[in-house]
Amino acid sequence: MSASESQEAAGRPQSPRSFAIAHQRPRSSYVGCSKIADYEVLGKLGEGTFGEVHRARSRKTGALVALKKIIMHNEKDGFPITALREIKLLKLLSHPNILRLEDMAVEHPPKSADKRKRPIMYMVTPYMDHDLSGLLDNPSVTFTEPQIKCYMQQLLQGLEYLHANRILHRDMKAANLLINNKGILQIADFGLARHYEGETPQPGRGGGEGKRDYTSLVVTRWYRPPELLMHLKRYTTAIDLWGVGCVFGEMLVGKPILTGESDGHQLEIIFDLCGTPTNETMPGWKNLPGAEVLSPRPRQGNLGQRFREYGSGAISLLRELLKLDWKSRINAHDALQHPYFRNPPYPAKPEELPSFEESHELDRRKFHDRRAALPPAPKGGTVGRGPNNDGDGYRNSGGPGGRGYPRNNNNSSSNNSRNFGGPAPAPDERVPAWHRDTRLPPRPPPPADYGNGRDRAPRGGGGGNRQDVDTYIPSYDRDAPRRDDRRRDDRRDRGGPGDRRRGDYDDRTRSNRTRSRSRSPLPPRDRDRDRDRDRDRPPRDGPPHPR
Amino acid sequence: MAHMTNPLATPDQIFHRSSLDSLPTELRDAIFFSTQCLTQAAGILLQLPQSVTAQANVLLARFWLIEPMMSHEFSDVSAATVYLVAKIGPCPCTPRDLSNVYAYLLSGSSTFLSSPGNSPPKNIPDDYYQSETSYQAFHSRILSLEHLILCSLSFDTTVSLPHPLAITYLQSMDFLHIPKERIARRVVEYLNTALLSPQMLYLTTQPNGLAVAAIYNAAKDVGAKMPECEWWEVFDVDREDLGFLVVGMRSLEGWVEGMKGKEGVLGKRKRGGMITRKEVREILGRDTLPQEEEDPELVMARRMDEKMREIEGGAA
Repeated sequence: MSASESQEAAGRPQSPRSFAIAHQRPRSSYVGCSKIADYEVLGKLGEGTFGEVHRARSRKTGALVALKKIIMHNEKDGFPITALREIKLLKLLSHPNILRLEDMAVEHPPKSADKRKRPIMYMVTPYMDHDLSGLLDNPSVTFTEPQIKCYMQQLLQGLEYLHANRILHRDMKAANLLINNKGILQIADFGLARHYEGETPQPGRGGGEGKRDYTSLVVTRWYRPPELLMHLKRYTTAIDLWGVGCVFGEMLVGKPILTGESDGHQLEIIFDLCGTPTNETMPGWKNLPGAEVLSPRPRQGNLGQRFREYGSGAISLLRELLKLDWKSRINAHDALQHPYFRNPPYPAKPEELPSFEESHELDRRKFHDRRAALPPAPKGGTVGRGPNNDGDGYRNSGGPGGRGYPRNNNNSSSNNSRNFGGPAPAPDERVPAWHRDTRLPPRPPPPADYGNGRDRAPRGGGGGNRQDVDTYIPSYDRDAPRRDDRRRDDRRDRGGPGDRRRGDYDDRTRSNRTRSRSRSPLPPRDRDRDRDRDRDRPPRDGPPHPR
Repeated sequence: MAHMTNPLATPDQIFHRSSLDSLPTELRDAIFFSTQCLTQAAGILLQLPQSVTAQANVLLARFWLIEPMMSHEFSDVSAATVYLVAKIGPCPCTPRDLSNVYAYLLSGSSTFLSSPGNSPPKNIPDDYYQSETSYQAFHSRILSLEHLILCSLSFDTTVSLPHPLAITYLQSMDFLHIPKERIARRVVEYLNTALLSPQMLYLTTQPNGLAVAAIYNAAKDVGAKMPECEWWEVFDVDREDLGFLVVGMRSLEGWVEGMKGKEGVLGKRKRGGMITRKEVREILGRDTLPQEEEDPELVMARRMDEKMREIEGGAA
C-alpha cells in the first residue's frame, strides 16, 4: 500500500472515491467459467473414467488446449468430490513442472433437453504433445541419457514442489507425466492427490515419519510401492518417490519395469528386483497388515544386474528410489542432488531436446485395435494364467490408471466392443502420426542402439481380445516375422541369469502390458473412490483445508 | 502466498450489485444478513467446524456478487454453499442431514431469528418433517445450485480465513499482555461477526487486514495497551484500510439493532424466522416499487466519504 502513503506524503489525500478507482482490483478476480463455445474442439485425445479429453483451440488466444470433460459419476452426491479436490489443488499450485489449470469451460445442455440435466464441465489445461507412456511407446522415439536426466530433473523438481506444499500425488506413473515439444515435463492428474499432515520432507531424512492414516487404495499397481501393497496406512511422500523410480526405470528400459498382474504378483516381482525384505532392508515390514501372510522365497534382488548397461550412476539413483524401506527412501530434494545429475553426460536443457510427433495413449489404442481385429495366428506360447488371476479387477478397466489426461481408459464394455469390433477411427478422430502412412512399417527395425537398452519391445501383442490375451502371441500378417524376431531378441536381451524368473513372465507380461496400458491394470477407480469417500466420513480422511 | 490470499471483489462488481436485481439496499442487506445467520445456524446444527461454515459464508457472499439474489430461494443458496464447502473439507455432510437441518431452521418450531421478547416457540415435529418428495425436491435444488455456484465462481472454492493469521499475530504481539483466552476470544468474535456484515468485508479485504482490524478492536474492548508505533504496518496493513475495517466491524451491531427495530426491515415483519423470496415480493408489492434508485456510484462515494470522516474523527 505504498501508493496511499506516497499520496499522503504528497499532501492532500485523494478523495476516497478516486482512491478506490485508482486501486481497482484486477477484473479477473471473479470471472465465471468460459463457455465451451470459446473453444474450437479439434478432436479426441483420450478417454478415461474421469472423462474424455479433447484437443481444442481457444478462440480468444489461439492457444492449443486440452479439455478434460468431467463425468458426473454419482449424481446423488452432486459434483464429483475427486474433481473438486483436483481443481482446488491445481488452482493453488503454480510451478513450471505442474500442469496448469487455465480455465473451466461449461457446456450447457440444449434448452429443449431435460431440465434436470446439468451442464457439462471441462477442465482447460495447456495442450501437451505427449504423455510419457505414449512417448515411450512410440517406436520412432529413442531417449538419450541427457534427455532422461533432463526429464528426471523436471519430474523431481515438480515433485519437490508438491511435497513442500504438503501434497501427496498418489498416482505417479508415466501416463500422468506430460511432455511437450519444448522439452517441458509436467505432472498431471491430481484426482487422487490430497494434502498430508506432518512435516515436509527434510534434506537427508527421506520422507520423514507418517503422521496419520490415509487410505492405502491409491497408486496404480505397477507403480505402487511395497509398503502400500502391504497396506501401510501411515504413509508419507515416499510413496511418490517409488513411482518416480518406476518411471525412471521405464525411461531407461523403454517400457514399464514392474508389471504385476495382481497385488501378490506385484510384490513378488518387486522382491525379484529389490530383494526380499529383511529387518535391515525394510524395518518393520513384518508388522504391516499385508505382510502377515507373506513368506517370500529369499532372494537378493537383481536390480544391479537388470540395469547394468545403464551405468552405475543410474543404478545407484534407482536403488535409492526403489528402496524397500520407505523411511530411508530418498526424497525429491536429495534425489536432485544425486551424483547422477552431476556426472557426464550432463542433463540436457529442455530446449535442446528433440521434438517428436504427438503420441497419446489413444493413438496406441487405435493402433492396437486395428491389429487386434486381424485374425490371430494360433501361435505363440501358452502362458497359463488361471482365470483367478484376473479376478482382482484388472478386467475392470476403470482403474486409477485411467484418468490421466491424454490417456484412454474407457470402461470395459466400450473397450470390449471396440476390441471386438475393431472400428476404424471416426473421421474426426486423430490417426496416430506414425501410422498415417500405411507404407511405413508398423514396427521399425531395431534402432541402432538397440542393444544399448533402447529396447522398444514390441507392443501390441494381444491387443485386447479378452479370452485369449494371455494365451497367445498374435502374429499379424505381414509384420509377423518381424515381430517374432523382435520377440526373440527381446527374450535374449532379457535372458540374463538374474532374469530367469522374469523370463517366465515374459509373454504374459508383454501381452498384458499392452492391453493394460489401454485399460488400467488395477483397481477400478470407482471402487477406489468410493472407498476413499467412505473414509472421508468421520474419522475422516478428507483433505484438510488447504490454506 | 496463494494460500493466504483471496480473490477479491472488484469495485465494479460491488457497484453493479444493485443492478443485478432491483432490490432496495436496505432489503438486500437484510436478506444478506439473515441468510448468513442461517448459514451459521445450520453449521452449528450440522456440527461443522466454524472453519467450514465461515468458508460457506464467504462463498455465499461471492456468489451473490454474480447472481441476482432473487433468482433462488435464499435458504437454498445457503444450504448449497454449506454442502459444497463441507464436501471439499474434512467433514462432508449428507444431503439428508442438510435437508433435515434446513427444514427445522425454516420451520416455526425453531428459534432462528425470532424476537427475543417472545416466548420460545412450541416444538411441533410435524412442522419440519421432511417427506420423501420434499427431500428429493430439496436435494435436486441443492445439486443444481451447487453446479451454478461452482460455475459462477469458476470453481475457485478456496477461501483463506483470517482466523489462523489473527492468532499468529496475537502470539507475535505477546497477546498484548492480556490473558490470551480473553483477547483471543474477542478477536474471533469480531472475525465471525464480520462474516455477517452486508458490507462484505471478507470480499474486499485480504485476511491480514481483517486479522489486524479484529485485533485492534478487541484490544480496545478489553482495554489492552497496544504498541505505540504503527504496528499494523508490520502486518502489511495501512492506516486507512485499518480505519475502514475497524469502523466496519464495529458498526455491524448498531446496524443490526436498527434493522430489527421498529422502523427496520426485519422489525417491520409480522413473523420471525428466515426471510423468504415470497415475503420479499410481498414487501416490494406493498411499498410499490422503490423510489428511483440513486446512482450506485454516488451512493458508494458518499458512504466512503462518511466513513472517511468517521475514521478521521476517531483517529484524532
